[in-house]
Amino acid sequence: MGAVTYPDTKVIGFISENMIPLQVLFDAQPLSTDFNIKWTPTLITLDSEGKEHHRTVGFLSPDELIPSLLLGIGKSYFETDRFEEAIESLERLLREHPNSDAAPEAIYLRGVCRYKSTNDPKPLKEAYEQLKAEYPASEWTKRAYPYRLL
Amino acid sequence: MENEMKWETDMDQALARASSESKPVLLDFYNPG
Repeated sequence: MGAVTYPDTKVIGFISENMIPLQVLFDAQPLSTDFNIKWTPTLITLDSEGKEHHRTVGFLSPDELIPSLLLGIGKSYFETDRFEEAIESLERLLREHPNSDAAPEAIYLRGVCRYKSTNDPKPLKEAYEQLKAEYPASEWTKRAYPYRLL
Repeated sequence: MENEMKWETDMDQALARASSESKPVLLDFYNPG
């Protein structure tokens, strides 16, 4: 990450604009124990209370890190019931990084956010149909499979 | 645009900035090799 991804100008710009970057050694205590760190790199998205919302383990290229972080930001909003802000982050991910590994989960989570903010189940079915059409092999298509019946 | 990442190294400082700037924290556990 330090040799390839973090020096990338797009990555620097995205993180500087959207997040507070905090870097610690894998065995730094008490954080390593608190977050149960077993391998590196481990990247975690936290809210301002220090609560974890998203985690990845392993190398991510610049083109995969930015959408992964957008997913983490979206999950941070989702898990604090800020659905409109979550949807904004997820739609930015899908607009700017539609071919990224994070895109299928973003479609799934956007459908859930739309459902939870409206109580209308239609967005869940729409999420499944989009996943089936655009990412048929994704695990998120399988997870959305029951929504075909809504 | 900045040409290098400006990492925080202290959790409390990072969380204080996260609160004041309304941004989440990216916490990176790394191994310098």
